[in-house]
Amino acid sequence: MSGSSDSRGWPLTEAQSGLWYAQQLDPANPLFNTGQYIELVGALDPDAFRSALSTAVEEAEALSLRMIDAADGPRQFLDAAQRPSLDVIDVSGAEDPLAAAEADIARDMATPIDPTRDPLAAERLFRLGPERFIWQQRIHHLAIDGYGMILLTQRVADLYNARRRGTAPGPALPGLDVVLAEDAAYRVADKRAADAAYWREAFADQPEVASLAAGAPVSAFGFHRRAVEVDAATVARLHALAKATSIPWPDLLTALCAAYVQRHTGTAEVVLGVPHMGRLGSKAARVPAMLMNVLPVRVAPEPGATLADFLGTVARGLVKARRHGRYRSEQLRRDLKLIGRQRRLHGPLVNVLPFDETPHFEGLDARLQVLSAGPVDEITFTFRAHGDAGLRLEIDANPDLYSADEALAHARRLNAFLAAALAAERLDEVSTATPEEAQRHLGEMNATAHAVADVTLTALIETTMRHCPTAPAIRFDGAEMSYGELDCRSAALASRLAAAGAGPGGIVAVALPRSLELIVALVAVLRAGAAYLPLDLGHPDERLARILGSARPVVALALEADAGRFAPHVPVLAPEAWPSEPGGVVPPAAKPCDAAYVIYTSGSTGEPKGVVIEHRAIVNRLEWMREHYRIGPDERIVQKTPATFDVSVWEFFLPLIAGAVLVVAPPEAHRDPVALARLFRAEKVTTAHFVPSMLAAFLAEPAAQGLALRYVFCSGEELPAELRDRFHRTLAAELHNLYGPTEAAVDVSFWPAGPQDRARPVPIGFPVWNTRLYVLDEAMRPQPPGVPGHLFLAGVQLARGYLGRPDLTAERFLPDPFVPGERMYRSGDLAYYRTDGAVIFLGRSDHQIKIRGLRVELGEIETAVMQSGLVRQCAVIASRDAAGAQRIVAYVVGVTEAGALREKLASRLPDYMVPSAIVTLDALPVTANGKLDRAALPAPEFSGVGGRAPQTPSERLVARLFREVLRLEAEPAAEDDFFALGGDSLQAVSMLLRLREAVGRDPGLGALFAAPSVASLAAALDDQAAPAEFGLDPVIRLADGDPALPPLFAIHPAGGLAWCYGGLARTLAPRRAVYGLQAPALSPEEPLPPSLAALAADYARRIRTVRPNGPYHLVGWSVGGILAQAVAVELRQEGAEVGVVALLDAYPSDCWRAEAEPAPDAALKALLAIAGHDPDRLPGLALSRASVIAFLRASDSPLGTLSNAALDGVVRVVTGNNRLVRGHHHARYDGTLTFFRAALDHEGRDLTPAKWAPYAAGIEVIDIASLHAHLTGRAATAAIAPVLGEALAANEQSKENPCVTTVSRDVSPSSPERAEA
Amino acid sequence: MIDPTQIRRLAEPREPLTLERMRRDIAAMLHEDPSEIGEGDSLLDLGLDSMRAMNLVLGWSEGGLDLEFSEFAEDPTLAGWWAIVARQQARLG
Repeated sequence: MSGSSDSRGWPLTEAQSGLWYAQQLDPANPLFNTGQYIELVGALDPDAFRSALSTAVEEAEALSLRMIDAADGPRQFLDAAQRPSLDVIDVSGAEDPLAAAEADIARDMATPIDPTRDPLAAERLFRLGPERFIWQQRIHHLAIDGYGMILLTQRVADLYNARRRGTAPGPALPGLDVVLAEDAAYRVADKRAADAAYWREAFADQPEVASLAAGAPVSAFGFHRRAVEVDAATVARLHALAKATSIPWPDLLTALCAAYVQRHTGTAEVVLGVPHMGRLGSKAARVPAMLMNVLPVRVAPEPGATLADFLGTVARGLVKARRHGRYRSEQLRRDLKLIGRQRRLHGPLVNVLPFDETPHFEGLDARLQVLSAGPVDEITFTFRAHGDAGLRLEIDANPDLYSADEALAHARRLNAFLAAALAAERLDEVSTATPEEAQRHLGEMNATAHAVADVTLTALIETTMRHCPTAPAIRFDGAEMSYGELDCRSAALASRLAAAGAGPGGIVAVALPRSLELIVALVAVLRAGAAYLPLDLGHPDERLARILGSARPVVALALEADAGRFAPHVPVLAPEAWPSEPGGVVPPAAKPCDAAYVIYTSGSTGEPKGVVIEHRAIVNRLEWMREHYRIGPDERIVQKTPATFDVSVWEFFLPLIAGAVLVVAPPEAHRDPVALARLFRAEKVTTAHFVPSMLAAFLAEPAAQGLALRYVFCSGEELPAELRDRFHRTLAAELHNLYGPTEAAVDVSFWPAGPQDRARPVPIGFPVWNTRLYVLDEAMRPQPPGVPGHLFLAGVQLARGYLGRPDLTAERFLPDPFVPGERMYRSGDLAYYRTDGAVIFLGRSDHQIKIRGLRVELGEIETAVMQSGLVRQCAVIASRDAAGAQRIVAYVVGVTEAGALREKLASRLPDYMVPSAIVTLDALPVTANGKLDRAALPAPEFSGVGGRAPQTPSERLVARLFREVLRLEAEPAAEDDFFALGGDSLQAVSMLLRLREAVGRDPGLGALFAAPSVASLAAALDDQAAPAEFGLDPVIRLADGDPALPPLFAIHPAGGLAWCYGGLARTLAPRRAVYGLQAPALSPEEPLPPSLAALAADYARRIRTVRPNGPYHLVGWSVGGILAQAVAVELRQEGAEVGVVALLDAYPSDCWRAEAEPAPDAALKALLAIAGHDPDRLPGLALSRASVIAFLRASDSPLGTLSNAALDGVVRVVTGNNRLVRGHHHARYDGTLTFFRAALDHEGRDLTPAKWAPYAAGIEVIDIASLHAHLTGRAATAAIAPVLGEALAANEQSKENPCVTTVSRDVSPSSPERAEA
Repeated sequence: MIDPTQIRRLAEPREPLTLERMRRDIAAMLHEDPSEIGEGDSLLDLGLDSMRAMNLVLGWSEGGLDLEFSEFAEDPTLAGWWAIVARQQARLG
C-alpha cells in the first residue's frame, strides 16, 4: 500500500459511502454480506489451494479493511489482523455432507457484520468427501462488488493452476491505492461536474417511479430467489437480433425487461436500475473493491412502435447513461432531493452477466452458486450466461413485497414475454400473461356454470305466496301483511294495471315512500307483466321530467299528494284508488326475457340512462344469493335502500322468494343510525345491507354496539379493510362484500369479509353463478394476476341495455371475444386479480365517482353547470377532503355569484350531485397540449391550510437549526420539510449534531427521515423528552408486519420496559406485528400489582383488547418469561387459543424463592443491565442513584433519555417484580414452552429448562451461544429470530393443516438439545 | 423468421484474430469506418461502452483465446488490446 494515508486512514470512497449509510440505517441486516460458493469435484491439491488463496487475499487489500466511525465521518484503514485466512471444515462425516455445508453457509451468510469491529471477509473450505469440496467466500459489500468477486475468484484459480502446472501466474491484482486515488481525482474532476449536469438534466422533471409491487423498497433480511432457464431457441433469437441490430444482447434484455415492467405498472414510463461495473478505462479495472454503481434508466415504450425502434431507443439511452456512469446514484438522489426510504430513483434492477463466471481449476469440475449480491430493496432480474449458450434468469425478490410464488410467476412470465417479444414485429402484439395464466383466468376462475330454473321473478314470488299464505310477508311500522294478503292485494292491483294498459314490454313508474303499499305496488307491476321504474321524488322536477319523457311509463303509482309532479307526463294511480279484490282483466304473464325493472343512473353526457334488467338476469342473482347464503323462511331482512338504487332489488325480493319476512324501514330511517339500531333490535332483523360510508356512521353510533345479526352485506363503494375490522369489533354478524353495477343485475361478485379475513385491500371477490369477470389490457387480452386492467363482466346477469339508447348500449356492451355469441359489459372500473382469483377493485378508468354509494358522472354535473347559463367555462372534479372523503368541486369561469349557481344546480341535480365547493377562476389552467391541467387547479377551501409559524419551544429550536444548517433566508414554517428545503443526508447528520449540542439529545437519523418537518421533528424530540406519554405505555407497538399473521406479544423483563425486543421484532421474517407489554407501574400513579397472577391476568386482558381472538404468541425474557407462562395459563383458562410461548432464558419462581433478599443496590444494577451494561464490569461506577443516572445519560442507551421520574419508575418496578416473582406459584400450562437457553451462562448454578417440567406439557430447548444479559443483543437476536420465526410459522401451519406435525429443526448456532418434560 | 439452428452453423468457422479484424469489429460496433479507429485512440472517446466492449471481448474469445475482460478494461485502445491478444496467441504457440 502506498504512503498516501495518514495514521487515521482514508475516508470512504463515494461508492462505499452509500453503502455505509444504508447499513447505518439497518445495522442488523445480514444482506450487506455478499457471497458465493464454488463446488469443486476432483482431486483438489490442498496445499496449492491454500497457497493460492493466501496470495490472492493478500493482494486483494480491500478484504483487510477496518472501518472506524470518526466524528467527521467514517474512515477506513488496512489492518492485516482482519485479513481472512482459510477456514477448513470437514463435514464428510455428516449424513448429507452437502446439506450440512449448505446449512452452515446459510447460517454464516445470515449473520450481520459490524464493519467497525468484525473482519469484512471470510474464506471457508468445506470438505464433503475425498474428492468433493465447497469453497465459500463471504465478503462485506463495503469491500467488494460482484465484478470484484469474479476478479478475486479468477485470481485464486489462476494462482492454483500456475502452481499445478509449474508456470508463472498472471500479473498480481493491483492495490487499493489505485481505487482511492481515482476516487479522490474524480471527486474534483470536471468530468464529475459534467456527469452531474447530465443526470440532473435527465431527471429534472422528477419522474414518478412505479414498480411491480407497492410498498417501501427497503431490503428485508433475506430474499426469495426463483430461477428459470431461457430456452435455446430464445437465446438463439436474442443473439441473432443482437447481430441484426448491432445492439449487444445484454442491452436487448434490459430493454425488454423495461417493457415487461411497464406492462405491470401501467405507467407511460418506467425507470430501471441498471448495475454499472464502472471499470472500463479505469486503472482500477482489476482491483477487487466496491466500485459498482446503479444507473437509473428511463424507458417509455411508444404504443405502436416497432420492436427494432424500441430496442434502438433504449440501447442509445443505455450508452449515454454509461458514459456518465461514474456519477453515484446516491449522490443523484441527494441532488434530486429523493431522500427518505420511500422515495425511489428507480424501480426493478436488471443485471445481465454476459460471461460464465465459473472459474476453471485444473483437473477439477467447478459449479458456481452466487448466494447474495447485496441488499434486495425491491426486485432484481439477473441473467447469467453459463456454459456454451445457456442463459439463466434469476429473480431475487424482497419478501416484504413479494411472495415466493410471485417471484416464480415473474420468472416464468418474463421468460415467456422475452420469447414472444423476440419473435414479434411490435411489442403491442405480445401478451403480458402467459398462455397458462390466460387460460386459468378465462376458464378456471370463471367456471361458474350453475343450473337455474328459467322462470320469471313473478313466478318465484307467486310460488311463495301460494305455499305459505298465512306466514308474515311484510312488517312496517307495527303493521304486518301475510303472504296471502299480499297475493290478494297485488293480484287486484295487477289487474287494474293491466286494465290501464300495463303488460309485458310496458313500464309502470313507482314513486311511493317506503310502506306496505310500496311492496304491493312492486309485486303488482311484476304480476301485470310490466317492468317497474322506481322514481325518487327528492329529485328536482326537471330531472324527473327527463326520465319520464324517455321511459314513457303507462301509469305511475304514487301518492295523491304528489300527483301534481306527474301531471303533464303520466296519469297517477294513488293507493286510495287501488282495488282490494282481484277481478276483471287477468294480466298476461311475463316471460324470462321480458324486462323486470328499469333503473336510471347518472350519465356522462348529462342525460340519465335507463338500465333495463330482464327477469332471467335478476332471477339468477336472487337464486344465487338465496342458495349461497342459505336464506330461508326464518330470515328477517330489512329494506332500507331507496328503490332507485338497485341494491333495493334484492332487499325487496330475496325475502319474497325465500318466504322470509321483509322488514320495511320507516321513510328516511336509512340515514338515521339510531333509528336503524332501534329497528334492528325491535324487529329482530337478521340481514341488512349497508353502503360502507353509512356502515361507518352506523358503527360509530353507541346504540349499534353489540348488535347481533346473521348477515350484513356491503356494496356500492369500496369496503375499507379498517372498516371491516371495526365492524367485527362492534357487531356480531357475518360480513360480505358484494360488487356489481346496475348494468349487471345488482351484484356479480362476492367476498366473505369475516372476522378472520386479513385481506388488504378487501377484494370484491369471485364471480357469482353463470357470471364471468375479465381483467383485460388495452388490446382486450387477459391480464396475469396482480396486473391492473379493465374489468369486463359477462354472463346471464347483463342488462338488456339502456332504454331507447342503442348507441350507448353498443358502446358499453361489446361482443365477448372469449365466448362466441355472448356479450360483455365494460364496467369502466380498473381492477386486478390475486393469485387465488379474487378480484381487487382499483378505481375508475373515467371520471365517474361514487358519493354515498351512488354513481355520479362528473359530465352530468358539468352539463348542468353549463346549462345554468351563468358560466362561460367550467371543470368539475372529485377531490378528497382532509378526512379522505370524496367531494365534488366545480371550477367555474365567468360567474360572479356562486350562490345563484348553486341554487340553479340544486334545482336540476339530486342533492348528492351538487358540488360541495364552487371555485371561481379567471381562466381554467391548461397544459401545453390544451388539456385541462388538473394539477394546476387550486385546492378548494374545505378547511384552512397554510404555513403555520413554529410555536412550541422545540419547534422554534428546530426551525432555527433548519435555517442555520440549510442557510435559509427566512425561518421555515412548522410544516416545512427538511429535505424539501434542500437538506441532504449529510446535512441531516449535521442537523442532528446541532440538536445534540443544543439540548443534549437527538431523535436519530431514522426519525429525521421518517418525520422531516419542523413540527414532526420537534414532536419526536418532545417524545424523547417526555417518553412517559410515549415509550412507557403499557402496550407499545414494536414492529408492523403482515396483517394476516397473528401478532407476537413480548413481555417486559424485570425493568418493566419492552424496548429490548425492538431488534427481535424487526428481525423476524416474515415480518409480523409485535407488541411490547410494559409494566403499568412504570407510571407513578399506578399501584404495584398485588401478585404476579393478577399482573398476568391484566396482561391477558390488554392482549385481548389489541386482538380479540387467538392464536396468541408470547415471548418473554427473564421475568418476562415467567409472566409469559402465566399469561398463557390465563389465556387458556379463558378458552383462548395460545400459539408459541417462547421463554428467553427464564426460570420458574421456585429457583428464586430461596435466594437471598436482593441487596439495596440490586435495582440500580438491574437498571445498568437493562441498558446493556454488565454492572460487574463497571467497578469504577459508584452504585448510587445519581451516578447511575449520570452514567446512563452519558451512554448511548435509550434509557438515558428518560426523565428522572421515569427512571424512578423503572427502579420501583424492578424491586416490585423481584417480590412478585418470589411470591408466585406456577399453574401448569397445557402446551409446549419454546425455551431459548443462554448457553454460555449459569455455570455452576442449578438453572435448567427442565425446572419448567411440572408447569408445561412439553419443553423445546434451543441453545444460544450467549450470556443471559446479552440475550436481546444483536448477535443473540440474529440467532433467535430465525428459529422463533420458524416456530411461529410452523405453529400457524399446523393450525391450518392439523395432520402435519411440527418437525424439530437443527438451526441453533450451537448444539441443539431437546428436553421433553 | 430466423431459424435458430441456422445461426450456429454460420458462426462456427472463425478466421484467426488479427489487428485488422479487431479494428473492423470495433468499427462495426461503433458504426464507424475502420480507418477512423486509430491504434492509440481512446475507444471510450469514440463512444464504446462497457457492454459493447464486453461483447467484443466475448466474440474474440470464441476462437479459443483465454481473454479476460478486466485486462481489456484497464487500457481501452486498439494498441493496448492487440498487445493482450498477441500475448495470448504467443502463449498458445
